[in-house]
Amino acid sequence: MKIGDQLPEFAVASVDPARMKTMAAVLRDPYRVHWDREATREMGLEGRVINQGPLNLSYIVNMLHSFSGPTSVRRLTVTFGQPVFDTDSVVAGGEISAIEGDRATCAVWLKCGDEIVVSGTAVIDIAHLH
Amino acid sequence: MTVVSPLGYRFPGGTYTIAHWENWLLTDCTTAEPLPDDLAHPVALFHVPILGAGTSITTLFEVCGAEGPGSVGLDGYDWEYMRPLRIGVEYRMEGGIVRWEQLVDERGNPYDSMSFSIEMFDAEGLAARITNTWRFRRRKPEGVTEATS
Repeated sequence: MKIGDQLPEFAVASVDPARMKTMAAVLRDPYRVHWDREATREMGLEGRVINQGPLNLSYIVNMLHSFSGPTSVRRLTVTFGQPVFDTDSVVAGGEISAIEGDRATCAVWLKCGDEIVVSGTAVIDIAHLH
Repeated sequence: MTVVSPLGYRFPGGTYTIAHWENWLLTDCTTAEPLPDDLAHPVALFHVPILGAGTSITTLFEVCGAEGPGSVGLDGYDWEYMRPLRIGVEYRMEGGIVRWEQLVDERGNPYDSMSFSIEMFDAEGLAARITNTWRFRRRKPEGVTEATS
């Protein structure tokens, strides 16, 4: 493992609006844009519902898990750009930017087409990967 | 719309135990398989601190004056895990609103930027902490036109 290594991508071929509904219930999230197509029609978005930010981030987490295991995530610092809509195809990716002892810092992102819609850094525990 | 600054607003505090069913559903929503050894999916660090601190998204929207569909946006998260989250562990939470700024976006539209922080403790001490930043978009005052660049 070295700086510059790419992390294996995690792809979601089509973001599922049914999962957004379940997620809204789990989160107790009343924001209609995630489950009510009428709400996004009012916004001029043609009734496509908007994926929750935590779900967008979860694809990055799943990518990290596939690389370094399910107990490895230590810090996530991200900013959100354009929304992800139902049926969008997204791909999470990352690259190791620093290694210090048992911790690696990774640049992480979520792309929708060519556009980065979530970006930031993740710190992961790599002790078991040495 | 001008909202009274909620800076300094403290959440009641409380406890939260992640249930197997909610973690299963949450993980399924991420398109992943359930994690082993009673591990909770790390994205539980969105709703668990909010609910455990005795507040809710609904309350945060009310306190910050959300104005309906499209009025709330997500700017960023900073989530730190001292150790992995687990199902069945009772976590104690405390936190509040730590930042409130009236800003204007690149198109000249006004919004309020709000950050809240919550710390999460288990029997060993600090287990996780979060700072989330949301934006609350405001209507422009009458007579103000949108910038074109």
